[in-house]
Parts: sequence; structure tokens; C-alpha cells
Amino acid sequence: MSPRHPFHCFLRGLALSLSKPYLAVSLWLVQLLLSAVLILPISNTLHDLLDNSVAGSRMVANPDYGWWETLQREHPELLGNFADLTAGLLTPEGVKSSQLSGLRGIGATAVSLAFFAVVLHAFALGGVFGTLREPKASLVTFGREGMRRFPPFLLFTLAALAAAGAAYRWIYLESGEALRNRMMELDSEGRALAINALRVLALLFALAAIKLLADSVRAIWVARPDLPPISRFFAGIAAALSHPARLLGVLLFYALVTAALYTVWLWLDPSAGGEARFALVPLILTQQVFVFVRLLVKVGYYAGISEALTRVPSPEYSYAASPAPAPSAAPPEAGARDEGPIDNPAGGI
Amino acid sequence: MHPAPRRSQRRLTPFFSSLLAAFALPAVSPAQTPPPPPIASYEISCRLDTDRKTVEGTELLTWTNRTTRPADTLRFHLYLNAFRNTRSTLWKESRGEAREGRLLESWGSVEIVRITLQDNTDLLPMLSYISPDDGNPDDRTVAEIRLPRPVAPGETIGVAIDFRSKLPRVSRRTGYKGDFYLVAQWFPKIGVLQESGWNCHQFHAWSEFFSDFGDYDVSVDVPARYKGRVGATGRQVEERVSTAGDRVVYRFRQAGVHDFTWTADPGYLVLRDRFHEAGLHDVDLTLLLQPEHSRQAERHFRAVRAAISGYGRVLGAYPYDTFTIVDPPWGARAAGGMEYPTLITAGTSISPPASIHSPEGVTIHEFGHQFFYGLLASNEFEEPYLDEGFNTYMTDRVLAAAFGPDHPYLSIFGLRFALGIDLHYPVDANRRYFAEATRDIHAAESWRFRDRAAYGAMSYSHTALALATLERLLTTNAMDRALRLYADRWRFRHPTIRDFIAAVNDTAGRDWTWFFDRTFFSSNDVDYAVEEATSVPAKAPKGLFEKDGKLAEGPPAPLAKPRGYDSVVTVTRRGATALPVEILLRFEGGRIHRASWDGEARWTRFTVSQGPKLLEAIVDPEEKILLDADRFNNGRRVEGDPRAAARWTSRTVFWAQNLFDFLTVAW
Repeated sequence: MSPRHPFHCFLRGLALSLSKPYLAVSLWLVQLLLSAVLILPISNTLHDLLDNSVAGSRMVANPDYGWWETLQREHPELLGNFADLTAGLLTPEGVKSSQLSGLRGIGATAVSLAFFAVVLHAFALGGVFGTLREPKASLVTFGREGMRRFPPFLLFTLAALAAAGAAYRWIYLESGEALRNRMMELDSEGRALAINALRVLALLFALAAIKLLADSVRAIWVARPDLPPISRFFAGIAAALSHPARLLGVLLFYALVTAALYTVWLWLDPSAGGEARFALVPLILTQQVFVFVRLLVKVGYYAGISEALTRVPSPEYSYAASPAPAPSAAPPEAGARDEGPIDNPAGGI
Repeated sequence: MHPAPRRSQRRLTPFFSSLLAAFALPAVSPAQTPPPPPIASYEISCRLDTDRKTVEGTELLTWTNRTTRPADTLRFHLYLNAFRNTRSTLWKESRGEAREGRLLESWGSVEIVRITLQDNTDLLPMLSYISPDDGNPDDRTVAEIRLPRPVAPGETIGVAIDFRSKLPRVSRRTGYKGDFYLVAQWFPKIGVLQESGWNCHQFHAWSEFFSDFGDYDVSVDVPARYKGRVGATGRQVEERVSTAGDRVVYRFRQAGVHDFTWTADPGYLVLRDRFHEAGLHDVDLTLLLQPEHSRQAERHFRAVRAAISGYGRVLGAYPYDTFTIVDPPWGARAAGGMEYPTLITAGTSISPPASIHSPEGVTIHEFGHQFFYGLLASNEFEEPYLDEGFNTYMTDRVLAAAFGPDHPYLSIFGLRFALGIDLHYPVDANRRYFAEATRDIHAAESWRFRDRAAYGAMSYSHTALALATLERLLTTNAMDRALRLYADRWRFRHPTIRDFIAAVNDTAGRDWTWFFDRTFFSSNDVDYAVEEATSVPAKAPKGLFEKDGKLAEGPPAPLAKPRGYDSVVTVTRRGATALPVEILLRFEGGRIHRASWDGEARWTRFTVSQGPKLLEAIVDPEEKILLDADRFNNGRRVEGDPRAAARWTSRTVFWAQNLFDFLTVAW
């Protein structure tokens, strides 16, 4: 198997991720802090509703459909249409942006936090890609690299997000609208499901392409600071277009491993069974360990993409000998006008 | 012709034994009340034109005036004219919305080409269209014919009618989709003459039907490719292939019914079974199934067997010899979930998980209409709850007894996946009522409901919950006796809610009209809550007390060292409807105190001094009042238990983390 095989790239990425666990820790902390915003509202609401209710004891172990329906009906201010919105994402009809206006309370906060998470992720990705390329990096490197890359990475992230939104609308929603009446005229539900599956596959393919283009641009952006920004951007696009199978392969392995992790989680279902299976503190610890393992895999994916595209180390870093600059060559800073000077690229400050 | 596989007759299985145990009444004798003399009987010959999507036919109506007044007019339902254009009452009331989406702009109609009396008197010039419900001049779903001479009480007349029906693409109950035909409400059908005059309503957006009993003899002429793939009300008595071989005629007969529907689809899988159970009537079952649902045949048969048994043991045996279940194809589900005499349309999806009650729920419910609509032929226009609600109540009972709790499902791009959460009958199955509880009068005429959601919530779910509440207040045995009395009295007739109330009163031996006044004929909701439950160590009283004939500070010795706890429980009635409830106080050491409250006041309070420590207070502890909109405020613990909230907080935050990660990983 070639060292550029997607599986190899993904494995090397995982090894890199394991060698720098603070990256996953950083992402975990970011997500935990974001989720922490919800802890108090959710906790207070649930304690208020359940602690003194005789129904509460029934719900230690199992969800209660009646409680959920009553909660949504009696307290619409808590979630609004959050449940319908999330379920709607999985329907052939999809969800329209106008439906966001139905969100309330914790539901609206959760969606706002999700957008904030996307912004923070732009920072985190700068840190991850930058740190992965340094052999002697630390958490400090992560923060420094994240801040250095933040403006362009935020632009890439927002552009990718906008492209994904457009893909969802034009590939999924519009096709569903256009085909709705024709679907009803098909001979069988099986055929209708097959068409829906094609729509979903087309959407997933478009989303994968958008993601891989964005990740490729990010990887090249970090790897080639010697190029002017516009060249780095197009080099990133070109890298994605020249190695689509390799990148898609890495993404596929990442998706498979993540799906396997979720399958194991759902199968074990540590949250079920009340206190018979896991007491509260072990349960919370188990949940966070799961999140952390998933984030290790996630960092492994980004490292895998980096490995797939840029095995030659960047000239700005000290772990590989940079080619000696020709006396007449322009100083490296000239090609990195968008970035601040690097005082000590080996990782220290 | 593809021979239909004959399924073996089944013995009574342990499954049915358990079902029998769920219904307390003894088995009924198959010998039931015979149908009364027919009022409106039809002989119809019709021909399906698949190119023009039309059915042309001749109809010989034999009608008897069973009132004490002469009839100088006849009124006919011309239901298919509801699909004639967008100015019909159906289109106006529904605003183009149907149960399964939009009404399609595929037009349907029924025209009377010729109508004569048996002496050949032409009645067509005397025909006019009327709109008795809403005065809509553009609605042509009711026709009135002024007779040259009145029909005397007890007199029988014959009316010959030639008609032409154009079928719409199915978007509401009737019509075609591709080669599939569900031909319902398709022929000119006489209304019901009552002492007060004609009861012949227009076709409304969310109403159903009302007709007199009669005997039907119907011949259906279809292209030869439909050979063996035609189903209809009643028993097939003839199959005749035309001389040219390009057409085939089926003849069906059924006595003692009040409608006739037929269906044809060359794609049907035709499966047969036979219901047999001691004490009930044997029934030949026919299942017309779509090929992509072939693996669900046994689910349909199992459901219908449970229904015939469950309904039969409470309400008396299903009296007809045949029963047909129609599975509409993809794209024609709007024809599904509908009842006709001895024939129903069910409906399912390609791969329903075993743990969700589809197609079982719809199959049992539509079968149940053979009683509530079929035999107990209430007026579905004016009292929709009397068929839909009563039937939903019985459906829930049969489903709970035969199949246990249902489960919600997640639909992922059209495929259904069951969730491991129990949905209990009847409350969880009828929760849509609570969201609509105060939006409309519960027992209203079907076309006067505010919208379809209110119609569904009130007619189906509210009635089911109200009857389940009544059952718990009366006891199941008394409720079954009341239902049986009602069914026996009104079999093959047109009962009203007053007749059911009378049956309840006669069974219970006291007047329960107040219950119906509060739950059926109001728009009020029910909600009881334990507002307060406290229990604190008893304290010695303070202040001035008499000691030795003088006032002195401090309590006398017996009061100075109180023991136990002082407990206070306040129960409130938050809903506008008052119903009697029980209240349970549970104390430390296993002591329990029960009290009854008539529920009339807005609140009541229970005080216990120097008693054991109160643990919890519950209003309606046995969950009899199923109309209670918020059951989760019915109980209150004195000391909070944070376990459930803590665990669900951790779960929710965990999945929020995953959601954030999903969103961020993507871009």
C-alpha cells in the first residue's frame, strides 16, 4: 500500500493526534465551555420540573413520552420548535431557514451557540493545522497558531458554511420541491425512497466536496506561507482537485471510525438503566471520555488531510532544514504579508 | 388470472385467548338482530372507462318512506361534485388542504343523465341543486327533486337513474392513481328522510357520511386486466368475461348496509383468510395488498382478527360474511384510512418497524367503523365524535390488549426507525387533544369545527379520552355493559349521543348526564394539580394560654412537647371542568390517607397535625381522569429527588456537545 494511500494518511494522522493529545484537549475544552452555557438553564429547568414531581422518579432511568409532550405544550417558551426543527433535518422535505423564527429559550440559545461554535472552530483549526506541523509544539503553539490564522480561516469557514447552506437549499430543498408531485406519481414507495436516497447522496457529496476544498485550502495555507495569500488559496483548491480520491478516502475513514464510535456508544447506552448501570459521576466521566476520544479521531482526520497533501515540511519551521535562501531571493516575510512575524517558529515564544 | 393463495384457517391461539381475557363479557351468540326492512336499496350496473377515468352506470333505487309524513321531494347526495371546481364547499372549507397534503387540481363530478319514476315520469326537469348547510350556490353535492306526487308514509317507490361519474386523481378518499381505482361516493345516493325532514348534508372538508340501510346488488364492468383484482362491499356472486375477452364483469351483493364502494388495481396481491372464533360469526377475509408490502400480510390479518374478536366480544358479533382490506398504492394514500361497509382502506409504508402499530392501528380502527358507522349508523355529519371518537376508544382498547404499547418512530429520509419509548393507550395515543382542548366545543357538527386540527382532536381524541375516563369512573365491566346495551338497541339504526347516555344511565342505575354535559358539550379543559405539599416537624405553640384559670405565656404541658409533623397539602383545580377526584397522601411508615373531592371548588386543603411525616401527595392517583391536560403536576413529593433532573441534564449537555461537534466538523 502506497504511503499516500488514504488509509495510511489517516493512520499517520491518528498517530500525530495521539502524539499531541493537547490538541484534542483544546477542542474538548472549547466544546465543553460552549455546552456549559446550557448547563445551568437546562439543569434549573429540569430540577424545577422534576425534583418534586412524582413523575420524576419514573424518569431517572427512562424517558417519558408524556412528559416530553406536556413540556413542549405547557412550556413552549423553553424550546420553541427546536424538536421539530432537528427532526425535520432528517425528512425528505428538509428545513427552511424561516423555521428558525420558531425557536425559543434554550432551543434558540443552543442554535446560537452552534453558530458561535463554528466561529470558534475556525480559530481551533488554525491552531490544529499550525501545531501539527511543529514537532515541538505545545498548547501555547495551538493558541498562537490559532490567532495567527484566525482571520483567513474564519473567512474560509464562513464561505464553506455559506456554500453548504446553498448546497442544502439548491440540491436538497429545491429538488424536493420540484420532484414532490412527480414522486407521488411513481409506481412504488421504494422508487420514491431511492430518489430520496439519491438526493441525500448528492447533498452529502456536495458537502464532502465543500469540506475537502476548505480543509485543503487550510492545510496548504499553513504549509506554504512562502506563497502569497491568493496563491495559497488557489494552491489549496488545486491540491484538493488533484487528489480528490485520496482526500475523500481520508474523509471516509474518518466518517467510518466516527460512526463506529457512535454505534458502540448507542449499543452500550451508558445513560440508560437509571443508576443500575452508571451512577451520575461515572456517567458524566464516561460521556466526556467518549467526547474526547471522538475529538482525538477528529484531530487525526485533520492531520490525515495535512499528511495527504503536504508531506514536505514548511520552510518556516525548524524541524526540517529549509533550503538556504538565495542571496538575491526576497525575504520569506514578503510571501507572508498577511501574517505577523514569527519570532521563534520552533514552538517557543 | 393468478389464483389467490388460500390461507389456512387458524385455531384460537394463545394470543387470542389473552385477548379474550381482556374483554370481560361472555361471548355473544352469532345470531344477531337481523337487518330491518331496507329503506334504500340499489341495483347498479356500471362500467369503468380507464381512458377517460369515468364510471357510467344505471341505478335502480327502491326507496321506502318510513316516516309518518308524506314526502313531496327527494334529496340526493352527489358527493363527487365536491371535486367539480374550486368553488365547491369542500374546496372553500379546506382552502385546498387535504389530510395528505394539497388537494390536487384533478376534477371529478357526477352527473344525473336521466332520472325517472317506475312509471317513466321524467324527474330531471324537477332537479335543482341546493346547499342546506352553507348556502353556497356553487356547491352541487346535494340535489333536490320535486315529485309530481308525494310519497305516502310506508309507500315504496322505484327511481331509475342513469349517471356518469368522472373520477378525480386521488387526493381525498376517492378516485384513481395510475391503474388503481378506489371508487367511493360515486353514485347518486338518496339522503335520510327523518320526521323533521330530509337529512342530506353537503360534502364538507372534514365530514363523513350518513345514509339509510338497504340491500345492494352491484355489477362492475372493468377491463380484463383487472380480472381477479376487484374488491367491493359484500360478497362476489358472479364473474363473467365478455365474449370478446376484453372486459370482465363482477357482481357483488350485500344486504343490510348503507353504502357501496369498490376498488380495482391490476397490481393487487389478493390474499385470503378466514376468521373463526367460538361465539362469533365466521368471516371470510380478503386482503388486497400492494406487492411492495407483501411481507406485511400477516400483520394486516393479525390486526383484523384481533379487531373482529375484540369489538365483537364487547359490541356483539360482526354480522357480515365478508370483510375486505384495501392497501392503497404509493401516491394514493389519501384513499387510505377510510371505512366503507364490509370494506376498508388501510395504508402502510414500505418497512414499518415491528414495534410500531402501523399498519395494525389503522386496520383495527377502520374495522371498528363496521360498528361505529356501519351497524350503529350515527350521523357522521352532525355527530362525528359518535363514530370516530367511540371507535378510537375501542381501537385503543383492542390495540392495548392485543399489541401492548406503541412506540414513536423517527423518520429518516422516509424510512422509519422505532424509538425505544413506550406510547401508552389511550393517553399517549390521543395527546393531540390537549393542545386543542379549549379551542372548540368538543361535540360539534363536523363542518363547524374551527379547523381540521380541532376536528381531529375533538372528534377522535377527546371523545376517546372522555370515554376512557368514564370507563374508569364506572368500571370496565359497567362500561362494557353500557356499550353492549347501546349496540344492541341501535344495531342497524341511527343512534345519537342521547341514546348512548341513556344506555349508560340505564346500566349504571343513576344519571350520568352531568358527565357528558361537562366533557362533551363544553370547550373547557381538565387539570388538577397538587400545588403545595409540605411536612415540617410540629412546633410547640407560642403565646398566652390558660393555666390554672389564668393567662400565662407558654403552652400547657401536653402541648409543650409536640410530636410528629405538621403537613399541609393544597390541591387546585386549574382547568375549568370540575370532575370528582381522589387524593392520596402517603406518609412515612407506609401509612396512606385517601380522600375524595368533588372538585367543584377551585382548591381544597388537607392539614395533618402531629402526624407521621408526609412523603407525597397525589391527586387522581389511579389515573382515572384521563382528560387531565397536565398529569405531571398531579403529584408532589415533599422532599425533592434530584436524580432524574441531574441525569437528564448530563444527557442533554452531552448531546449538545455532540451537536456542536457535528456542526463544526463539517466546515
